Amino acid sequence: MTVLLEMKERLKLIYSKYEAFIVPVIKFLLAFVAFNTLNGRMGYMTRLDDMRILLIAALACSFLPIGIMVLIAAVFSLMHMYALSMEVALVGLCMYLIMYLLFFRFSPKDSLVVVLTPLLFAWKMPYVIPIATGLLCGPGSLVSVGCGVAVYYLLQTIIESAPNIRTMGEEDILGKIRMVVESILANRAMVVMIAAFAITVLVVYFIRRLSVDYSWTIAMIAGAMMNVVLLLIGDLFYEINVSVGTVLLGSLLAIVVAKVIEFFRFCVDYSRTEKVQFEDDEYYYYVKAVPKMTVSVPTKTVKKINSQWDRGGSAGSRNGAARQPARGMAGERGPSSRNGSGARPQNRGSGQRRGGSMTVGNTGNRKRADAHGGNGPDDYEEWT
Amino acid sequence: MLNEERIILMTQMASYEQGEGKENVKIGNYFRSDYIALQVLKSIVCAIIAYGIMFGLYMLCNFEEFMENLYKMDLLAFAKDVLMYLVAVVGGYAVLTYIICTWRYAAAKKSLKCYYHNLKKLNSLYQESQ
Repeated sequence: MTVLLEMKERLKLIYSKYEAFIVPVIKFLLAFVAFNTLNGRMGYMTRLDDMRILLIAALACSFLPIGIMVLIAAVFSLMHMYALSMEVALVGLCMYLIMYLLFFRFSPKDSLVVVLTPLLFAWKMPYVIPIATGLLCGPGSLVSVGCGVAVYYLLQTIIESAPNIRTMGEEDILGKIRMVVESILANRAMVVMIAAFAITVLVVYFIRRLSVDYSWTIAMIAGAMMNVVLLLIGDLFYEINVSVGTVLLGSLLAIVVAKVIEFFRFCVDYSRTEKVQFEDDEYYYYVKAVPKMTVSVPTKTVKKINSQWDRGGSAGSRNGAARQPARGMAGERGPSSRNGSGARPQNRGSGQRRGGSMTVGNTGNRKRADAHGGNGPDDYEEWT
Repeated sequence: MLNEERIILMTQMASYEQGEGKENVKIGNYFRSDYIALQVLKSIVCAIIAYGIMFGLYMLCNFEEFMENLYKMDLLAFAKDVLMYLVAVVGGYAVLTYIICTWRYAAAKKSLKCYYHNLKKLNSLYQESQ
């Protein structure tokens, strides 16, 4: 566990250091994968299936807000629909507008969920979404999850209806519209999925907010079970042809992903829980404090040791203790080097350095010897 | 001389203003009634447009049937039904918006209470230093 916590701290350090680069790269990759998947599954407009267009769009998404990614993905899908049939594009546009006007305006911050939901559906692991959303977002996010599910089923319906649409004549405009609209409205699987996911989001959210130990773990397991039960009930009543094995495996995967999320977001040590009670003029406070699990990352310190013998003792005469700390340097281990409690050689300024200098890691082992005009490794051996 | 406590407080407040507080500060600039009224008004407009789109799709799907029965059907009753559904959809959506916005305003105010408390504290720190 300590290794994992150290790794987490290291990742946090790396993220905080390179956030300006990491976030655009992740957005770029997400946009690229989303557009590529869309092209791969629909692909009716062959012009869009061009790597240059994909890269340009993904690059634009890397520095623009996530909402723009949703917009570009919607435009891509509409263009594919238009290539299939103008009537299909019209129905798609109407669906997107209805979703935006009625639902999406309440949770514009959850654009990422709208992109990820169809993507995870395409990768056959959609059950991660309601549990992850319930853990990380608020109850309002169920709207975004519902929109994401609706988008996936809209695209899926169009993909499945494409052969029939192609066989219909150009003049049968109303027939095409009717077929697409009726296919979408008659899609019971979509309704069951939206209902199951929405209830799962709420269940996970409310359980993880409870003041009980291991609330996150309980929430994710309860959410996964609730999702499975709701889908099976839906299958029983509406015959949506859900594979029990797929649902169970998907839910197990969702729990694993949720555990990873919990590790990064809510890693606490319940064994050290403290309950305190105090009061002020207006209230009594019953406080339950659960400490976070943290470890301090051992940092590497770089120490430069200058050769004394080459200088003829000029530095040593300035600081009488100069040799002694350097001698202790070789045996220095771990955290002591971090907080400087160990013996530390004095840096005597570059002007006096004519011999070699060494770089030593916190483990005390010889990592690297930089020679500045001298033989590094030889200098190291000399000092130890 | 740098005041460490003041700098920490200002950093926390700036982080709040740029993060989750951005929306809350925007909401907090309104009176409760103004905010809710504006949101409900927007919702009514959106609901009317969405209803128009849905009605358009419905008409396109049933266009042939509608044209066939155009002279047989009671157009007044049909218009009455359409308007009734419009009122039901728009009214329902407005009520939902009212509930959501009331809750959202209360949550934003609660969040801003802490922010304003920090603002007062910052002000007092400045006065102490002068």
